[in-house]
Amino acid sequence: MAISLKESIVVGFSDFWSRKIRSIVTIIGIVLGTMSVIVVLSLMNGVNQKTIQWMLERGGLNKISIYQNWEYQSKTGQRKYFTYRELKLIHSLIPEVKYFNPTIRRGFRISYGKKEYWTSVRGVYPDFSPIEEWGVQKGRFVSNFDINQSSDIIVIGTKVAEELFGNLDPLGKMVTVHNRRLQVAGVMEHRFMKNSVSIGNDNNNALSYLNRRAFIPLSTMINKITNQDKINGLALKTSTPEEAILLKDKLEGILSNLRRREPVFIIESAQEEAEKAKKNTKIFQIIFFIISLISLLVGGIVIINIMLATIQERTREIGIRLAVGARRRDIFIQFLVQTVIITLLGGIIGVTIGVSILGFISNFLKMELIASFGTIILSVAVSAGIGLIFGIIPAIHASNLNPVEALRHE
Amino acid sequence: MSYIIEVKNIKKVYNMGKVKVEALKTIDVKIEKGEFVAIMGPSGSGKSTLMHILGCLDSPTKGEYFLDGLEISKLKKRKLATIRNIKIGFIFQTFNLLPHLSIHKNVELPLMYSGMNRTQRKKQATKILTSVGLIDRKKHKPSELSGGQRQRVAIARAIVNNPSIILADEPTGNLDTSSGNDILSIFAELHKAGNTIVMVTHDPAVAKRADRTIHIIDGEISNGNIS
Repeated sequence: MAISLKESIVVGFSDFWSRKIRSIVTIIGIVLGTMSVIVVLSLMNGVNQKTIQWMLERGGLNKISIYQNWEYQSKTGQRKYFTYRELKLIHSLIPEVKYFNPTIRRGFRISYGKKEYWTSVRGVYPDFSPIEEWGVQKGRFVSNFDINQSSDIIVIGTKVAEELFGNLDPLGKMVTVHNRRLQVAGVMEHRFMKNSVSIGNDNNNALSYLNRRAFIPLSTMINKITNQDKINGLALKTSTPEEAILLKDKLEGILSNLRRREPVFIIESAQEEAEKAKKNTKIFQIIFFIISLISLLVGGIVIINIMLATIQERTREIGIRLAVGARRRDIFIQFLVQTVIITLLGGIIGVTIGVSILGFISNFLKMELIASFGTIILSVAVSAGIGLIFGIIPAIHASNLNPVEALRHE
Repeated sequence: MSYIIEVKNIKKVYNMGKVKVEALKTIDVKIEKGEFVAIMGPSGSGKSTLMHILGCLDSPTKGEYFLDGLEISKLKKRKLATIRNIKIGFIFQTFNLLPHLSIHKNVELPLMYSGMNRTQRKKQATKILTSVGLIDRKKHKPSELSGGQRQRVAIARAIVNNPSIILADEPTGNLDTSSGNDILSIFAELHKAGNTIVMVTHDPAVAKRADRTIHIIDGEISNGNIS
């Protein structure tokens, strides 16, 4: 017999339009709240994605890296490098490893004719390529044959090629490194991180430092260039990220035994680093989300206030409606619908503005920031939820008015 | 005799904090179908309270109220809203139209709450507005009309649902004599057409237009219950 939900919504809507200014002012509070929720969540998400993308670009999550720990001073004179024999031993203790790449890194001048280029030259194994997921664009990379023969070859990054050879084809050319003549066997693929946070040219890209490197066989480095059996680092790769975490624990044991339990090396698993990074941003995410929620809450309190004032003004109208047969439920819905319209509209506008702001930030930081579908749904749901929660109090107040007193209200 | 309104031993006590105010002291009223009755009394006599109880806006503290054979005093609030909607048409001294709605929408209001669909609602409201001579004003807001016209809109709203009784609270109180007479003529026509009308007034000249007058003083009926 009574008014349908649809009619209540129509009444709520026409109320909303007949009080435009008040409605718009109320909406602004919700717009700001929703906007900050969406911008903060997406920004955090973007930073997270960035970290993980960087890790993937640097060889994925199955990777383990061992570095020298420069901050640690050994009291018993433990060596901060590996000998070739130690590496053979380590490799034999971890047969489950998929790729194994010891590295010697040294700064050298590479010269070709009159041109020269200072850079980091690395003595590596052929496994370097699959571990870093980085191959050659021209020629070939270091091979097992090169390791066995200590071949006089070098593979160079694109920046090195550009600096030394310009437009010439580097393949087959002879360069000099530390008085040793080496033949260019290959040019590495150009590295560039898409959507990187970088302002300006290519040199500032998050991965561009890699293009400045050059690679030679590890054996060539030890036997013909440095003449020292000192290997600085080791990189490993397993089939899965889970195996990497297990392997990391095992390596900690092995290295600890080799160096009398002194932490002269740092072992890093990409998977753990990614999780750490995620955890760090999660804390910020929660803090900023709470701040955004508080601003929405303030918006909600503004709504209660304005709706209560509206109801005060419209007491007589409520009385008239009750007199001609409106039930309490009809009045309740009429006022609740108004708040929900305000908050929902505020939510939608907030999302729209928020997404535009994200677009602006993305452009400015050259970083891809997209509000996920989930984030949008969450923001709109939160704002509509605020509307429901804060709309209920004034709506109950309105529907509980005594008809006789409401009619007398001036 | 079939009574459309039968009030037996009704009492209304208002609880004003520590003080209890007896607005109505044991009242009996019987009104026949098709009667035009005036309720007269000075202000504070309890005539408005009686009116509110008859209109199901308020419930008596004690006693029984039968409207159209239905015992109202036992009904829940939710049911009272339905009774107000289909059995009662209110006309107020201050018209009580919704200011931001058009005349047409104001007349449609009771039909909306009774769940009638939009097309039927429009048809019915148009018919009633035509009968009170305001169909050419249907798009206007109440503030664009004169007092007499506004009260005609209020009458249209009161009768649009074909109620069992029409309750008018000082319907001419805010009008000049000529507009007031217009309204009373409409009441006379409605009465002639068989409607039951109960009208509260303090003006003896207005009360004279009714079939009979019930006088209330200090919450009691002073002229007995002549039916």
